[in-house]
Amino acid sequence: MIPLSWYLALSAAVFCLGVYGVLGRRNAVAILMGIELMLNAVNINLVAFWRYLTPTFIAGQAFAIIIFAVAASEAAVGLALIISIYRNRSTVAAEDIDLMKW
Amino acid sequence: MIDFLSSHVLSIILLSPVVGAVLVLLLPANRLRTIRWTAFLVSLVPLAFSILAWRAYAPGVEGYQFVEKAEWYAAIGSSYHLGVDGISLSMVLLTTLLTPLALLISWSIEERVRGYMALFLLLETGMLGVFLSLDLLMFFVFWEVGLVPMYFLINQWGSANRNYASFKFLIYTMAGSLGLLLAIQLIGLASGTFDLVEITQKWTALNEPLTVLGLPLAVPIGTVKAVAFWAFVLAFAIKVPVWPFHTWLPDAHTEAPTAGSMILAGVLLNLGAYGFLRFVLPLYPEQAQAYAWILGLLAVLAIVLGAFSSWAQDDFKRLVAYSSVNHMGFVVLGVAAAAQARGTLATPDAVIAVNGAVLQMFNHGLSAAGMFLLVGVIYERTHTRDLNAYGGLFPLAPVYGGILLFTAMASLGLPGLNGFVSEFMVVRGAWPIFTLYTAVGMIGLLITGAYILKGLGKVLHGPMNEKWVGHKLEIGRREILAMAPLMVLMLVIGVWPSWILGVINATVMRLFG
Amino acid sequence: MQPELLTWLIPLPPILAFGLIVLWAYRSNRLSHTLAVGAMVISWGMAMAVFALALARPHLGENPIASSVAWLPTGETALRLGVLVDPLTAVTLFFVAWTCLAIFVYSIGYHNFGKPRDPNDRPGLPPHAGGIEPMYARFFAFISLFAFGMLTLVVSDNLLLLFIGWEIMGLCSYLLIGFWYGKESARKAMVKAFMTTRVGDVFMLLGLAALYTSTGTLNYREILFNEEVLTTLAEASSGVLGLSMAGLISLLIFLGVVGKSAQFPLHVWLPDAMEGPTPVSAMIHAATMVSAGVYLSVRFFPLLTAGWHEGSPLTLPMTIVAGIGGFTALFAATIAVAQNDIKRVLAYSTISQLGYMVAAVGIGAYVAAAFHLITHAFFKALLFLGSGSVIHGMEHGVHATHGHIDAQDMLNMGGLRKSMPITFVTFVIGGLALSGFPIVTAGFWSKDEILAEAFGTGQLIIFGLLAVAALLTAFYTMRQITLTFLGAPRTPAASHAHESVPTMTLPLIVLAIFAVSVGWVGIPEGFLGLHLPIPNWLHEFVGGTLLEHPQALPFQWIPLLTSVAVAGLGLLVGWWVYRRIPAGGADPLVGWLGPIHTLLRRKYFVDEFYEKVFVRPAYWLADQVSYRWIDRGLIDGFLHGVARTALRIGSFLRRWIDLPVVNGFGDLVGETTKRAGRVFRQVQTGQVQGYLVVGLLFTGLLLSYFLLVRP
Repeated sequence: MIPLSWYLALSAAVFCLGVYGVLGRRNAVAILMGIELMLNAVNINLVAFWRYLTPTFIAGQAFAIIIFAVAASEAAVGLALIISIYRNRSTVAAEDIDLMKW
Repeated sequence: MIDFLSSHVLSIILLSPVVGAVLVLLLPANRLRTIRWTAFLVSLVPLAFSILAWRAYAPGVEGYQFVEKAEWYAAIGSSYHLGVDGISLSMVLLTTLLTPLALLISWSIEERVRGYMALFLLLETGMLGVFLSLDLLMFFVFWEVGLVPMYFLINQWGSANRNYASFKFLIYTMAGSLGLLLAIQLIGLASGTFDLVEITQKWTALNEPLTVLGLPLAVPIGTVKAVAFWAFVLAFAIKVPVWPFHTWLPDAHTEAPTAGSMILAGVLLNLGAYGFLRFVLPLYPEQAQAYAWILGLLAVLAIVLGAFSSWAQDDFKRLVAYSSVNHMGFVVLGVAAAAQARGTLATPDAVIAVNGAVLQMFNHGLSAAGMFLLVGVIYERTHTRDLNAYGGLFPLAPVYGGILLFTAMASLGLPGLNGFVSEFMVVRGAWPIFTLYTAVGMIGLLITGAYILKGLGKVLHGPMNEKWVGHKLEIGRREILAMAPLMVLMLVIGVWPSWILGVINATVMRLFG
Repeated sequence: MQPELLTWLIPLPPILAFGLIVLWAYRSNRLSHTLAVGAMVISWGMAMAVFALALARPHLGENPIASSVAWLPTGETALRLGVLVDPLTAVTLFFVAWTCLAIFVYSIGYHNFGKPRDPNDRPGLPPHAGGIEPMYARFFAFISLFAFGMLTLVVSDNLLLLFIGWEIMGLCSYLLIGFWYGKESARKAMVKAFMTTRVGDVFMLLGLAALYTSTGTLNYREILFNEEVLTTLAEASSGVLGLSMAGLISLLIFLGVVGKSAQFPLHVWLPDAMEGPTPVSAMIHAATMVSAGVYLSVRFFPLLTAGWHEGSPLTLPMTIVAGIGGFTALFAATIAVAQNDIKRVLAYSTISQLGYMVAAVGIGAYVAAAFHLITHAFFKALLFLGSGSVIHGMEHGVHATHGHIDAQDMLNMGGLRKSMPITFVTFVIGGLALSGFPIVTAGFWSKDEILAEAFGTGQLIIFGLLAVAALLTAFYTMRQITLTFLGAPRTPAASHAHESVPTMTLPLIVLAIFAVSVGWVGIPEGFLGLHLPIPNWLHEFVGGTLLEHPQALPFQWIPLLTSVAVAGLGLLVGWWVYRRIPAGGADPLVGWLGPIHTLLRRKYFVDEFYEKVFVRPAYWLADQVSYRWIDRGLIDGFLHGVARTALRIGSFLRRWIDLPVVNGFGDLVGETTKRAGRVFRQVQTGQVQGYLVVGLLFTGLLLSYFLLVRP
C-alpha cells in the first residue's frame, strides 16, 4: 500500500502550486483557481489522514465534503465579484484592483 | 375626590401650573387664541384653590397648616414638605392672583406664544414653591426654578437692551444663590435634616462643633452660623433688593415684557423679603440682632436713594422700577426693626413693624404690578417710554388717566388706599426701635411724592397733546379687566385692612412668641 | 336714629356721589351735579341734625357722641377708628357743612351750567367764552371726594382717621388746583401745593408714630381728655432739644399744620393754588382744608400745652407756635398789600388770618382760636366766592369787548358796584368782617378776642404783631373794595360786567348772613363793662371740650380800643389812597415804597429762594448724585469693573493656560498619532496579493518557530 507520506507530498505539491497561483498570477480568475487548488490540497490531506489514522471515524470525509461546498460557493461568489469588477473597471488584473489603498 | 382635593390643596396649587405648561406645549403652535385661553384658564386653578385655602385657613391655630409631607430624598434627610402660615398664605394668594392678570395682559404677545405662556406657568410654580416649601433643599430648588423662566422671558420677549438686562439679572441672582446653596448645605450637615420645622427646633440650640464627614476638622458652630447667616442675607438682599445690590432691578424691570415686570415687581422681589422673614429671623436671631443696624441703614438708603433715583428718571418704566427699590426699603426696614427688637421690651413694636412689612410686600405686589401694567398699556400704544414724549394725555385717554391716578396714589401711599396702611405700620413699628433711621426715611417718603407727581404730570397733564390726537390711546377692556381686581384690592385693603392683617398678625405674633 | 350712627353716615353721601359720578353718571352734567349737590344736602342735613343733637346733650364735653370699631390688628391689641362729636367737632361740623353746601351750589353757576359747550374749548383749559366747563362732571366728582375727606376729618375720633381725611383733601387739592392742567402755571401750582404740604405731612406722620408709640393709641379722648397720659407725656423727655415728649410730638404734628394751613415757611403753595377754579379756592383754600390745619392745632391744644397752666409763661413749643403764627399773620399781610390779583390778595389774607388762629393757639387762647376759625371760614368763603363772581362778571365784560386784559387784575376793574349790586354788598360785608369792623361783623368779635387774650396774658410781642397785621388787613381789604367796586370803571370790560346768576348770588347772601351773625354767639361777658343779657355761649360750649375749662378773661379797654382803631384807620386809609385811581393809573404805593414794594410784590423772593436752595439741589441730588453718580457710576461701575476683570482673567487664562498648555498637549497627541499613521499607512497598498505574501511569510515564521525553536 502506498505510504501516507506520498499523499502528503502530493498534497504539499498541489498546495504550493495553488500558493504560486494566488501570489504569482495577475489574473483574478487565476487567483481563484489557485485558491481552489489549495483547498483541494487540504482535501487530499484530510482524506489521507482519515484513511490511515482513524478509518472508523468519518470526520475526515465529512470535512472534505464541507470544504467542497465552501469551495463551490466561494467560486460562485468570487466569480460573480470578478465579473462585477470587470464590468466596472474593464480589468481583472489583481494589481489594478486597489480600492482599499490608503 | 373631595378628600383628596382637600388634603392635597397645596400640591394642587403648586403643580397645576406645571401641568398647564405641559398642556400648553402640546397645543398646536399657530392656535394663538386657544393657547392664550388655555394658559389663562389653567392659571385660574391655583387662584381658586388658594382662595379656598385662604377661607379654610384658621389664623389662631399654631404652626403650619394644610401640611403635606412625602419622602423625597431620604438619604440626605430632605422631604417633599409643604405647608403655609399667615405670611406665606398671603404671598401665595398674591402670586396666584397676579399670574392670571399677567397672562391676561400678555395677549399682546404675538411671537412664540406657546413658549411664553409655558414659561410663565413654570415661573408661577417656581414662585409658589418658594412660598410653600418647608424643606430647605426644596426651597432652593424652587428658588432656582423661578429664576430660569424669568431669564428667558426677559431675554426673548424683552425690549431693546434685553441681553444686558437679562444677563445682569441672572448673574446677580446666581451670585446670591451660590452662597445660599452653601449655607443650606452647612445647615443640612450640622443638623442632619433639611426640614425647616425640625431645623427651627434644633438649630438655635445647636452648640456642637460641626465635623464634616468624620474629618478631624471641627468647625465651631458660631462660625457655621455666621457664615450661613451672611450667605442667606446676601442672597435675599440681592433679591429684595437692598440698596447697594439694587441696580439689576431697574434694568431688568425696564427691559422685561409688561407681564414680566408685573411678576418681577409683584412677586419675585417678595421672595427675598419672605426669605428674611422665614429663614433669617427665626434661624439667626442673635446674628440678626447684632447686624440689624446695618440692615436698617441699607433699608433707609434704599428708601431715600431709591426715591431720589426714581425722581431723576425720564423713562416712565424705569421711574416705576426705582419706586420698587423705595417701597421694598420699607419692608426691609420693618424686618430690621424686628431683628433689632427681638427679646427686648420693644417686641410689640416689632410685631407692628413686621405686620407692616408683610402687608407692604402684599401692597407693593398690587401697586407695582398695577403701575407696570399701566406703563405697558401706554407703551404699547405710543411705542415710547420717554416721559417727555407724553404730556396732556388726560383728555385723550380719560379712563386710563383715572386708573393711572388711582394706582399712582396707591403707590404714593395715599391714606385710604393700601400703601398707606403698611407704610404707617412700618414707620410706627420702626420709630421706637430705629428712631433716627425712620426720621431719615421720611425724606424718601417726601421724594416719593415728587416722583409720583412727576410721572403723573408728565404723562397726563399739560395742554392736549396734538401729537397723539388720532392715536387710540384709551385703555382696552381686557386691560381694565386685569386692573380691576388690583384696584379693588388696593381700595379694600386701604379701607378695611383687618381681613388680611388679622391673618398676618396672628402668625407674626407666634413668630415673636 | 342714634346720633352715633348718624355721625358715621355724615361723610358717606359725598363719597357715594363721587363713585357714582366717576363710574356711571359722568356723561350727564345735570345728573352729576344733582348727585353731588344732593349728596351734600343729605350730609348737610345729617350734620345739622348731629349739631342739634350735640347742643341738646348736656355736658357734651364729658359725654360726647362717640363710637368706634377695631380697624388695624397690631399684635395683642388693635387700633380703633371711629367717630366723635364733642363741642369742637360740633361747631366745626356746622361751618364745614354750611360752607361746603354753599360752594357746591355756587359751582353750578360758576361753571356755566345751562350754557352750550363752546367747540373751541379744550378739556384742561378754562372755557373761553362763557361756555360750560368741558370737565363739568369731573369737577363735581372731585369736590364730592373733597367733601368726603373734610367731613371724615371732622367727625374722626382719632388722629389716623383725621390723617386719612387730611391726605384725601390733599389729593383733591392737587387735582383741583391743577383742574385746568393745560395751563403751565396750574401744573406747577398743583405739584407745589402737594409737595409743600407733604413736607409737613411726613413730619406729622412721624408725630403720629411717636404719639402712637408713647401712648398706644391715637384716640383724642384717650390722649387729650386724659390727665394721666398728658402728665406722663409732659414729664417724659424726648431727648431732642430738651423737649418733653408732649412738646416734640405736638411740634411734629404742628409741622403738619404749618404745611396744611400755609404758615411760614411752608406758606408758598397757597397763593399759587389760586390757579384752580374759584369755588376750589373758596372751599379748599379758605374755608375748609386750610382750616383743617388750624382745627388740628386747636384739637391738639391740650398736648401742646401739657404741663402749662394759664398765667404761667409760655413753654418752648407754645412759643414756637405763637411766634410762627404771629409772624405769618404780619408777613402775609404785608405781601397782600402789594398784590393786584383779586384772588391773590385773598390768598395772602387767608395765610395771615390762619396765622392769627395759630398764634391764638400758641398763646393758649383756645376758644378764641376756635372762634376765629369759624367766623373766618364764613367770611373768607364769602370773599372768595364774591371774587369769583367779580371775575366771572369781568370775564363776560372782556369777552363782550373783545379785549385782552387780565380779568383778575383789580387795576382793570372799578365801579362794579352798579353792575353787580349783590356781589358788591355781600363782598363789602365779607370785607368788613375780615377787617374787623366793630360790633356788627363776626370778624370783629373773634379777632378782638384774640387780641384781648394776647394782651391779657401779657404776650405783648404777639399782640403787637397781630395789631399791625390787623391794620394792614383793614387797609388791603379796603384797597380791594375800593379798586374793585368803587369809583368809575377803568376798562371797557369793567363797564360791561354784569351780575352773576342766582346759583352764584344765593350762596353769597347765605354766607353774608353768617359773616355777620356768627359773631354774636361769642360776645364776651362784661363787654364794655356792661352786663349783657346774652351769655358768651361759644366760650362755655367750646371750652367744654377741654378737661380743664379755660377761664374767660376780664374785659380790658386797651385791646378793644386798639382793635377798633386799627380797623377804622386801615379802612379809612385804604379808601383814601385808592379812591381815585384813573384808568391805566399805577398803584400809589409803588411810588411811596419804591424797592420795598417790589420786595413785597415778589413775596420777599421766598419762592426764588426755595427754588434755588431746596428744589434744584434736591433734583441735582436725585439726578446727578443718586442716579448718575451712585447707581450708574459707583455701583454699576463696580459691577462692570467686576465683569471686566472676570473677562480679563478669562482671556488671560485662555491665552496663557488654555491655548498653550491644555490645547497644546491635546494637539500634540493628535499630531503625533497622525504623523505615525502617515508613516504606517504606506503598507496599506490595497494589493491583495501583497497582503497574502505577508500573511504567508508570517505563517512561515510562526511555523518555523513552533517546529524548529520549540519542537
